[in-house]
Amino acid sequence: MNPSPAIEVRDLSKRFGDVEAVRGVSFSVKEGEIFGFLGPNGAGKTTTIKMLCTLLAPTSGALRLAGFDVTKSPEDVRRSIGVIFQDPSLDDRLTAEENLELHAVVYGVPRAERRARLDEALAFVELSERKKDLVRTFSGGMKRRLEIARGLVHRPRVLFLDEPTTGLDPQTRKATWEVLRGLRDRNGMTLFLTTHYMDEAENCDRIAVIDHGRIVAEDSPEALKRAVGKDVVFVRTNEPAALCAVLAERYGLTPDRTEEGLCFRVEDGEAFVVRLVSDVRVAVTGIAVRRPTLDDVFLALTGRQIRNGNGEAGRDTMRAMARRR
Amino acid sequence: MRAEVVYHLARRDVVKFLRDRQSLVATLVRPLLWILAVGFGLRRAVGTGAIGVDFVSFLVPGVATMAVLFSSMFSAVSIVWDREFGFLKELLVAPVPRATLVFAKMISASVTALLEVSVVLLVSPLFGARIDPLGALLAIPVLVAFGMSVSALGITVASRMKTFEGFGGIVNFLIQPVFFFSGALYPLEGLPPALAAVVRLNPMSYAVDATRGLCVGVHHFPIPLDAGVVLAALALLGTLAVRSFSRMQA
Ligand SMILES: Nc1ncnc2c1ncn2[C@@H]1O[C@H](COP(=O)(O)OP(=O)(O)OP(=O)(O)O)[C@@H](O)[C@H]1O
Ligand SMILES: [Mg+2]
Repeated sequence: MNPSPAIEVRDLSKRFGDVEAVRGVSFSVKEGEIFGFLGPNGAGKTTTIKMLCTLLAPTSGALRLAGFDVTKSPEDVRRSIGVIFQDPSLDDRLTAEENLELHAVVYGVPRAERRARLDEALAFVELSERKKDLVRTFSGGMKRRLEIARGLVHRPRVLFLDEPTTGLDPQTRKATWEVLRGLRDRNGMTLFLTTHYMDEAENCDRIAVIDHGRIVAEDSPEALKRAVGKDVVFVRTNEPAALCAVLAERYGLTPDRTEEGLCFRVEDGEAFVVRLVSDVRVAVTGIAVRRPTLDDVFLALTGRQIRNGNGEAGRDTMRAMARRR
Repeated sequence: MRAEVVYHLARRDVVKFLRDRQSLVATLVRPLLWILAVGFGLRRAVGTGAIGVDFVSFLVPGVATMAVLFSSMFSAVSIVWDREFGFLKELLVAPVPRATLVFAKMISASVTALLEVSVVLLVSPLFGARIDPLGALLAIPVLVAFGMSVSALGITVASRMKTFEGFGGIVNFLIQPVFFFSGALYPLEGLPPALAAVVRLNPMSYAVDATRGLCVGVHHFPIPLDAGVVLAALALLGTLAVRSFSRMQA
């Protein structure tokens, strides 16, 4: 017997007035798979998650989760899932422990197991010492860790994580990923996550790249990178227009302008660079050659970089502000 | 509906109510100010002729019911609060029927209201009010049912409002007439016909009447009628609250 997929989405659309947030998205996620939505701000990632977890009614399309129709049996779906939201969702006037306890009760964790589960969850995010403190006294990262711990308390079949590690320090991010992979390996939990971090997306078994409400590519991280194939070359210059012209004329390349300079893809990066430098009269101020990453996949697919460093910092500050209110 | 879930959800609201010391003290003291100012202010002028008892005794059940009205109505602001701060999402994805969430909110509203009522009833003898202790105990279920129905109305409003200001505006607009046209402050005998008609349409009049009848022995309607009207209001407003809350999207 073939088990039904953990998540099945067909022609899903969502419109908010004039804004088409999601436009005809289809994909399916197998039981025990780690599936990632990779896309820039406003791509429709959160909107898709909200529809999958019964918080938002789709404009059109079919959604099945753990075999249940999401619009027809929301209660069955809710019993099968856990959600770690992008935006704050803790009660900051309760203690850390009270937040987790309420969650455990509401999700029907048997009383006999509750204590152990809470302690385990708090220990995993290193908040055991602070469990009696009101959440409003926590730092942004501590709140985020607590939200992750809470999502794991009831061991859902399908766990949604909307930008789970935003605002976490690198160590905590790494530790979080170890735990998430462990849950998948031991309990066969299905993970659906969204992210802008390319290195994080590489933890996924499969990735859908989403842009402007549409899936523009879907495959394993390796396959996506292979599809881009060639090496990525960045060249910095004070005369980008002149260099662009030369690259187009002599090599038939159409470079993208990025923060790190002009960017283009060629078969053998190092050899090309050596040739370019001896050939070209335009002053070059810096050169870098990389193997393709998911950033490059995104750039190749959409002609844009997924997000620059500034956006990242700005966003985390905004999140921290939203949390502090 | 799992009782344990209702208990924990309601406990969350009550714990937060008790944790906020300043607003707790203010909430508990406010009804006593009414008794002091209005009760003693009007006592001489009113006398006992028209109402059958001392005015302070007459006023205490009215103020107790008023405390239930204000406290239950404003308790629903926690829904707006939860939406604003994001906790509502956590509640709405939980595998708990919407009706359970609404019921738990109604329970916590009536528990906090009862705390206020207890303070009013326990302190009022110090002001010279003569309250029948047994009658007061019997009035509690009436006040609980009334508190739940008011909180259901508050939940209905909160489910449709996106902002604190919107909620505050509507609730203040609703609460004033309900309070002033209820007989909390005056007897229902000999009212001008138009006022009497409005008072009869107001469920709070029946809650006040039952509480007053049970606590101090004067009432206008038969007490079973009072209880019936309060229960009918509870059924109607409770249904409305569940429906509005279920329609809400995060
Ligand atoms: N409740 C809403 N009302 C109106 N428009 C909305 C609403 N929610 C989302 N949108 C719009 O839908 C689009 C997709 O938003 P969504 O939150 O799904 O993006 P996202 O991919 O999660 O982005 P981010 O990386 O910034 O979290 C945006 O244009 C956004 O403005
Ligand atoms: Mg988002």
